[in-house]
Amino acid sequence: MVATPPPSYRLLGGRIPYIEGPLKVTGRAEYTDDIRRPGILVGRLLRSPWPHARLRSIDTSAARALPGVHAVLTGDRYPIPFGVLPITHDETAIAVDKARYIGDIIAAVAATDELTAERALSLIRVDIEPLPEYADPRVGTSKVAEPIHSRGLLGSNIQKEVVQHFGNVDAAFAHAAHSVRVRGNFAGVTHAFTEPMATIAEATPDGRLTVWSATQVPHYLHRALSEVLEIPMHRIRVIKPEVGGGFGGKSDPLPHEIVCAALSLETGRPVKILFDREDVFYTNHGRHPTQNDVRIAIDPEGRILGYDIEALIDGGAWSSFGTVTTYYNGVLAMGPYRVPNFRYRGRRVYTTKPPSGAMRAHGGTNIRYSVEVALDMLAETAGIDPFDLRTRNALPPNSKTVNEFRITSTSFLKCLTAARERSGWDAKFRKLPYGQGVGLGCGFYISGSNSPIHFTPKMPQSTVHLKVDMDGGIAVHSMQADIGQGSNTLLAAIVAEVLGVDLDRVHVQRVDSDVSPIDIGSYSSRVTFMMGNAARAAAEELRSKLVAAAAALLDRSPGALEVVHERIQEKGYPEVGVTFLTALHRAMETAGALTASGSYNTSPLGGSFKGARAGTAPAYSFAAYVAQTEVDDETGEYRVSKIWAAFDCGRPLNRLAVEGQIEGSIHMGLGQVMGESMNYRGGRLFNPSLLEYKIPMPQQMPDVEILLVGDDDPEGPFGAKEAGEGPLIATLPAVGNALYDAVGVRFTDLPITPDKVLKGIDQRRAEGRAWKGR
Amino acid sequence: MHLDAFELHRPTSVDDAMRLAAEWSGKFDYLAGGTDLLPNYKMHINLKPHLIALDAVPELAGHSLDRVGAMERLGELERDPAFLAAYPSVADAVREVATPLVRTSGTVGGNLLVETRCFFFNQSYFWRESLGFCLKADGDKCHVVPQKERCYATFSGDLAPAFLVLDAEVEVAGPSGRRRVPLVDLYDEKGDGIRRLKIQPGELLVAVHLPPRSRTLRGRYRKLRVRPSYDFPELGVAVAGTWDARRVESLSVAVGGVEPYPRRFDELTDPLVGETLSEDRVRALAEAITRAVRPVHNTFLLPDYRRRMVSVYVRRAIAEAKGGTAA
Amino acid sequence: MSSPDLLRFRLNGHPAEVACEAPRILLDLVREDLGLTGTKRGCDLGTCGCCTVLLDGRPTLSCLTLARLVEGREVTTIEGVTPPNGLSPVQRAFVQYGATQCGFCTPGFVVTATALLRESPHPNREEIERAISGNLCRCTGYRKIVEAIEAAGREVP
Repeated sequence: MVATPPPSYRLLGGRIPYIEGPLKVTGRAEYTDDIRRPGILVGRLLRSPWPHARLRSIDTSAARALPGVHAVLTGDRYPIPFGVLPITHDETAIAVDKARYIGDIIAAVAATDELTAERALSLIRVDIEPLPEYADPRVGTSKVAEPIHSRGLLGSNIQKEVVQHFGNVDAAFAHAAHSVRVRGNFAGVTHAFTEPMATIAEATPDGRLTVWSATQVPHYLHRALSEVLEIPMHRIRVIKPEVGGGFGGKSDPLPHEIVCAALSLETGRPVKILFDREDVFYTNHGRHPTQNDVRIAIDPEGRILGYDIEALIDGGAWSSFGTVTTYYNGVLAMGPYRVPNFRYRGRRVYTTKPPSGAMRAHGGTNIRYSVEVALDMLAETAGIDPFDLRTRNALPPNSKTVNEFRITSTSFLKCLTAARERSGWDAKFRKLPYGQGVGLGCGFYISGSNSPIHFTPKMPQSTVHLKVDMDGGIAVHSMQADIGQGSNTLLAAIVAEVLGVDLDRVHVQRVDSDVSPIDIGSYSSRVTFMMGNAARAAAEELRSKLVAAAAALLDRSPGALEVVHERIQEKGYPEVGVTFLTALHRAMETAGALTASGSYNTSPLGGSFKGARAGTAPAYSFAAYVAQTEVDDETGEYRVSKIWAAFDCGRPLNRLAVEGQIEGSIHMGLGQVMGESMNYRGGRLFNPSLLEYKIPMPQQMPDVEILLVGDDDPEGPFGAKEAGEGPLIATLPAVGNALYDAVGVRFTDLPITPDKVLKGIDQRRAEGRAWKGR
Repeated sequence: MHLDAFELHRPTSVDDAMRLAAEWSGKFDYLAGGTDLLPNYKMHINLKPHLIALDAVPELAGHSLDRVGAMERLGELERDPAFLAAYPSVADAVREVATPLVRTSGTVGGNLLVETRCFFFNQSYFWRESLGFCLKADGDKCHVVPQKERCYATFSGDLAPAFLVLDAEVEVAGPSGRRRVPLVDLYDEKGDGIRRLKIQPGELLVAVHLPPRSRTLRGRYRKLRVRPSYDFPELGVAVAGTWDARRVESLSVAVGGVEPYPRRFDELTDPLVGETLSEDRVRALAEAITRAVRPVHNTFLLPDYRRRMVSVYVRRAIAEAKGGTAA
Repeated sequence: MSSPDLLRFRLNGHPAEVACEAPRILLDLVREDLGLTGTKRGCDLGTCGCCTVLLDGRPTLSCLTLARLVEGREVTTIEGVTPPNGLSPVQRAFVQYGATQCGFCTPGFVVTATALLRESPHPNREEIERAISGNLCRCTGYRKIVEAIEAAGREVP
């Protein structure tokens, strides 16, 4: 574990601009679509126009015969299934036997140019038997005529069912002073990053296959390519160029990536697949449309007695991370409060729609909304201030939840205090004029999932290699995936901090499976925590080599020396010292270029019951947000004018990045409240465009006051915890509860569009209930 | 995304354009700013093998206080404080069209004649083929109101209502010469989402002319949309006129974004001339207009909500009208 | 008048000449034919702003511009608003203020912001928000982008 750090650092904790910033602002950063390979072919995909269909035959002869077409592939060519979770390998690169949603890939073409490729697609003849469309997850919970997947439970479309019970929930409710029930209905939302998926694959005559792809998970992609293409991993090289956003949408190995590689193997030429924006929507893997049913019981003092939760999760056509989602929609209700009795039944159901998967604050967002609304309702019923209710129930540091989540550091109480004071809550709550309101929303999130996918527990989740040669430049190799969250910069900063060198000595190398030691990727908010610890360990190993060399030069013991800025010197005698370069060159006399390695793995956590590991993490982030809104009760339009975001990410190592993540998360959470939704009729997505998918505009962003109040985490690198996903969660209920304070309407469904606001106000008035005199 | 092949013509005069229009009759589209046409072309919607680009025809360019060339870019109007001050309804409208980037290229004429919209129509070829094509493009039935006779696509331009309430005229060039017609007569209220303009094939919008008295009017345009940028109007209400606390000298209200054509409600506003514009009268007017429009469910917001907003927006537009030089 | 196939225009301050068919889109011409990959492709339908270039100094969606129609005009890409050595004030501010995260939308924003500051050197927050409201960002929530542009505006006398 990490030794007690000094209270302040030279670089860490400051505002560190991104090291690749100058490349990004000049258009010089290289994304996958910017890469040029000689002789490259265009790969295009034929997508199913049917929501569910048996593929009886696919005639590709006319397509093959078209001049300029180099390959046409169908699913039978590469039928080995894959998926991001080992236990649910239910996807194939191209559909085999059935198409399962409008947009499912049913054939692929590689041709000299886009026009030819498109023509080739139009020449492919597909003979199908239509199968029933299953768009409503409720229907899929019973036996169905034609299950979307044969693995569906008992002939239904249920992909996963989770049942958990801790303590005695019925007894808890029987003895409750107050209880409430919230039924929430959440439309699906999607990541909508600006960079569409892009992959280039190049099979070369030396038997190697190189794949460049916009991915968050180069290692998982590497594995999937190997499994499906039946090529040993060492013959495949995965390179991750600059990635234009992910948020979980690029955190599965995706079928088109494998198809692209297959096309290159088939043609012997490099092939590029670049998605249209509509393709991106059909690929989805966004937040699941969810219906939840949440009951919460409290005692007279407002202490939580129990939660009783049901969740029906609309999975779409594939599993993706769905097994985890099914757990998360229940277990991620287990913080930040003490919940002594807990019952959960979650079911994820396949539907004939674009698959849902992991999206920022995966599994922790929708359930949090319903829980926080329920707590707000209970606070009102019990006559307790919402802040006081939270305070009374906060999980203390170094505690365990009943489902055996280990809580170490938590500054949740500080978050509450900061948000309450800075927002002026006590003068505003229930006291603002009709139409204006404030609301509290809280949350917590994992700082990296404790259990890695695809590994035995004995392999590290993150490894960092350093190499430094006589020029004094430190090359850093790691498969961690910077997708815009600034992990490259943090990696460099940690190395520079530990070695006492200028940041510009440290060069984070592009992710390349040939040279980058495995880090399992950017998902579940694990990178700061895990890569950070690995980086620190590697840098400390390197430092000890340099200090030893300096000690030899200075004729002192290593323990007498300290590392300062670009120099190693004797403690208390600063004139006795050598420069970094001098120490380096001395160390190199015996070894040549120096290398160092550091890694990190989580220690086993969680109980011994089924699914115990889901939701376990080496640390958790915490949040308490207050939102202030203004509602126009004639039009139902509303504005969120300000959010006070109190967040505990432990020690923020790069304040610029942490703020950016919080602001970006708030924007994304706000989108889910205000109007983002995947609009389906049956299995047909009606808004596969950035015009009709309503990402908020700058004018809709509130003022955000960020309050970073975390204390050092005992296991996080330099005390840090995650700040990539947790900051999104509290946004939604803060706004929902603020709308209640403004106009007296409870919104349990998202998004909350102006027509729904008006409908709610109409209903309240029809029921004869006034709110703030109106 | 590529464009299918077409021939691009670039006339340098209206006469040239007319000649090309005659030569390629039925086989061409005019290309103004391209911000609506090109996305539709990329989605393989109603392609034509010839495009006649209008950006090199000097007569269509530029604007002054009483004449706006059809090819004048929205961004240029937006940059003219004198124009904006003279025509507050147009000022509101032009500033709200799409995004600043679209307004660099988009034109006044293009916005007045913008293609009607529907979420069954503005989709890719793949999407439309998957569902079955619609009446407005490649198909024979409407998906909004299932039948085969009438298209329900909605007029979604912001400038039309704003110019309508100023009693603007348009100058149209055709094979047999020029004509001037009140803007209100350009839109066919007996038409539908496909046949919605009283303009002959090949005719070209040359300019919008503003009568001198329109500069003296108060005005306002209110746009209902989900977000403050990007989105088309789900309802647009324009008002202009001269009134004060005692008396209405003139009042005009026009509505867009709810039907296949923008509409001006003279029959409802004319009777108010000479009367006091009381709250009751405004409310009655707003409600009458609400009853007169029939939005359908072919856009993000539900039709009931949009209808309800007609009333609110008419009232507010009148209350918020600014400018004007007469008493 | 150039031959039907040859497009002549000014690109980033220098004369340019490219063979160009009628349906060629400016974005494709810039990225593929001219090899300038700084301008990004986010949607091809004018709904994200990643493809923003300046056309005669005005921020324009290159994905909705026919290349042939830039004949005789001035096209400026992100490469053209970058000084030969170093960063412009806008670019420097974007880096300093954390206005770029994944960076994919950044060239579009930088081009838009550069044009804004040339036209309106000291914009307030509202003006900035309006001016950038055609450029989509999914990472930043726009806050730091607005701050950066404000800061760059303060830097200009």
